[in-house]
Amino acid sequence: MSSLRTEGLTKSFGGVLAVDGVTVELRDGAINGLIGPNGSGKTTFFNIVTGMIRPDAGRVLYRDREITRHAPHRIAHAGIGRTFQLCRVFPRLTVLENMLVAVRRTRLRELMAGLRDAGETERARHWLRRMGIEHLEEAEARDLSYGQQKLLELAAVLMAEPDLVLLDEPAGGVNPALIDRITGLVRDLNAEGRTFLVVEHNMDMVMGMCDHVIVFDRGAPIAEGPPSAVREDPRVLEAYLGV
Amino acid sequence: MSLLAQGLALGVLTGGLYALLASGLSLYFGVMRVVMVAHPAFLFLAAYLTYTAHTVFGVDPFLALPVTVPLFFALGVAVQRLLIARLAPENVAMMSVLLTFGLALTIEGLLGTFYTGSYKSISMDYATRSLTVAGVHLPYDKIIAFLVAALTLGVLFAVLVKSRFGQALRATIQHREAARLVGIPTERVAGHGFGVGLATAAAGGTVLALITPFFPASHWVWIGKLMAVIVVGGLGSVTGAALAAVLLGVVEGVVLVTVDATWATMMFYVFLFLALLVRPQGFFGGRLAHRF
Amino acid sequence: MRTVSRGLPLLAGALAIAYPWLVPNYYLVYAGALTVMYAAMSTSWNLLGGFTGYVSLGHSAFFGLGAYGTGLLVVRLDVPWLVALPVSALLVTLFAAGVGIAAVRVRGASFVIVSIALVSMMNLVVQGWRSLTGGSTGLQVPSPFPGLHRGQTHLVFFYLFLVLLGVALLAWWQISRSRFGAGLRAIREDEDKAESLGVPTAAYKVAAFALSALFVALAGGLYALWFGSLDPIFVFSILIGSSMVLMSLLGGVRHLLGPLLGALIVAPAGEYFLIALGETQIHLTATGLVLVLVVLFMPEGILARFARRRAGPSIPDESADQRLQGVSS
Repeated sequence: MSSLRTEGLTKSFGGVLAVDGVTVELRDGAINGLIGPNGSGKTTFFNIVTGMIRPDAGRVLYRDREITRHAPHRIAHAGIGRTFQLCRVFPRLTVLENMLVAVRRTRLRELMAGLRDAGETERARHWLRRMGIEHLEEAEARDLSYGQQKLLELAAVLMAEPDLVLLDEPAGGVNPALIDRITGLVRDLNAEGRTFLVVEHNMDMVMGMCDHVIVFDRGAPIAEGPPSAVREDPRVLEAYLGV
Repeated sequence: MSLLAQGLALGVLTGGLYALLASGLSLYFGVMRVVMVAHPAFLFLAAYLTYTAHTVFGVDPFLALPVTVPLFFALGVAVQRLLIARLAPENVAMMSVLLTFGLALTIEGLLGTFYTGSYKSISMDYATRSLTVAGVHLPYDKIIAFLVAALTLGVLFAVLVKSRFGQALRATIQHREAARLVGIPTERVAGHGFGVGLATAAAGGTVLALITPFFPASHWVWIGKLMAVIVVGGLGSVTGAALAAVLLGVVEGVVLVTVDATWATMMFYVFLFLALLVRPQGFFGGRLAHRF
Repeated sequence: MRTVSRGLPLLAGALAIAYPWLVPNYYLVYAGALTVMYAAMSTSWNLLGGFTGYVSLGHSAFFGLGAYGTGLLVVRLDVPWLVALPVSALLVTLFAAGVGIAAVRVRGASFVIVSIALVSMMNLVVQGWRSLTGGSTGLQVPSPFPGLHRGQTHLVFFYLFLVLLGVALLAWWQISRSRFGAGLRAIREDEDKAESLGVPTAAYKVAAFALSALFVALAGGLYALWFGSLDPIFVFSILIGSSMVLMSLLGGVRHLLGPLLGALIVAPAGEYFLIALGETQIHLTATGLVLVLVVLFMPEGILARFARRRAGPSIPDESADQRLQGVSS
């Protein structure tokens, strides 16, 4: 069974093809990297997969079930979680409340009756501990530093217990120590059985962390393979350096 | 058949007026991302001022325009500079609606206090007659309304397209930051944009006073009507709004002559909700930013 | 300190219950009942506005429908008022859910416009459908307590509205502590993000919309039974809807007691205006100006000035990093 698979995914904005017939398949259980020059369609691809944007054509399949054009919350329920390029948390909610927003399945009884139930709170604290921000649980998210917000965002995504996690530039705007920390976390989470798809500009991070790298250029994949192979691929060099 | 033609003709004539009234709303939204709920209230303020000019000084309603248009321009600048510009930027869309809603209530209350709640109307002898073309009666007041609306819209477009102010305004609408970088005083331009918007309300109000009786709470109906025009047209283009204005004007006119006034007004809401269901992403989707 | 914070609500509650017996005349009982009615309605409005940030200026539609629903069931179908009231409120809630499905698809300013359109539409329908509603001449609803004189009726309705207020407050409080509430607040903060975390935002919003309509409809039904005469222009007036917004904003939409506080200020002020100036339109201007001032200078409300944030404005980054070093996975 494959993890995430797309077939001929296409999307244009006002005549400009942002994503042009993308057919790719992620390695299940691996850390997949998605790289490419600016404007190569990486984020649009993310947004289509997570249901934020409707594709003009093509299909998205997750664990062999079609999720094309499903509402984002249904895609989340199917087991796909994501972070955003510019980290997004709920600024005026406390850290703990941020964690409790995530919904695994829509069970009305659980939502209304299980008011702040101890199990969920404990689960939230568990993830906060793993991120190292459990001491902040009563603070409002807007009072956190950017790095702390990034960790909170990831923790909140993990609350929904996704099997596949899409990270949009996890290293963007954070200091080197934190990048190492996030890399370590992703590796651990991957070792526990979660599949990752990481869009990232920090090549050291991508090459050091990913098992499998897909390269986008002008809205379509031009190469894929293990980091060492992709790094040597002439098409990739051309796309990046414009040689 | 002639009934239908009658409704059609009336609809086109009132549609022209709707287009003028909706253009002001597009302007506010363009320069400040503000949904100006008080636009119709200002419209009726202009109508009442025209009424006073006519009944107290006995002047022709259109002779009030040289006074009301500059006055409303100044009012518009003041509203933008003193009120709208003070709103916290992160929630301008929502707060501006509440703010202008408060303004609308304020104006309605003042009108009710000074003019009482009863209906007022201006009737000019030249406006009560009608022109008959091929069995279709075209009242002169509606023809005048259409012509004034078309003229005002024409002037507005000329200003926007030809003048330096118009260029600065369009630049501000399209990309505020970039406009500021090339040296356009965007704050002042936004204020003037508001002024121009309210100036169209002065012209629109005068016309409105001629063709329909009014009372202080009349403006609520017009909020619905104008919003429907903008939704159906898509706030993206003024051309779209103009087409929607004529379309809704015609629908209203036909329903008015075939059914009744209640259903004619109801049509606006029906179209509003239908458009919403078809375009769930909302009608103030920022398309205006790219095409004005 | 703890006993004070526990005791204060109890004291306030006791004071509210004792109020009709503390005031010298029935007029003040009437004014009290009116204030409590507005407090219940604003609190109910805040189930939508406070949690999700969707500002509805059209909640008077549900007030009017609740009132006409109850009135028509009693007058036309001879339903006992105790049955008519909940039945009408449930029908309005269903209607609100239907409207909500369309209305909450648009966000921000567009939603406000839609809510205004809703009231205008209801107004048109009720005035136009004369055979059913009596049109602009109004509808006369017989008093549910024919044995009581006017003042005693005010007394009874004071307590009925107080119960409604209590239930509305309880609902708000309960939701604010639930994950449903966390989801609603997340919608206010960042709707797309909430959706990506698995929150079915559309369903949540419709639920909040319908629930907030329910209590407003109940208030409308009680109003119909209390006043005994319905005028479509009043019950569907935009003013009632804007009062709910004004009261909630003034008190503070993010606080349980914000709308109640706002109602305690605005409703008596409105009554005072009515006595001092008589039946003029100037109260519209007063409402409008206060709304403008609140939006400009106090959009977070009075209570926000008193509520302190739990953490300082900035937490040093080092502390997190240091902790990170210490934590081993």
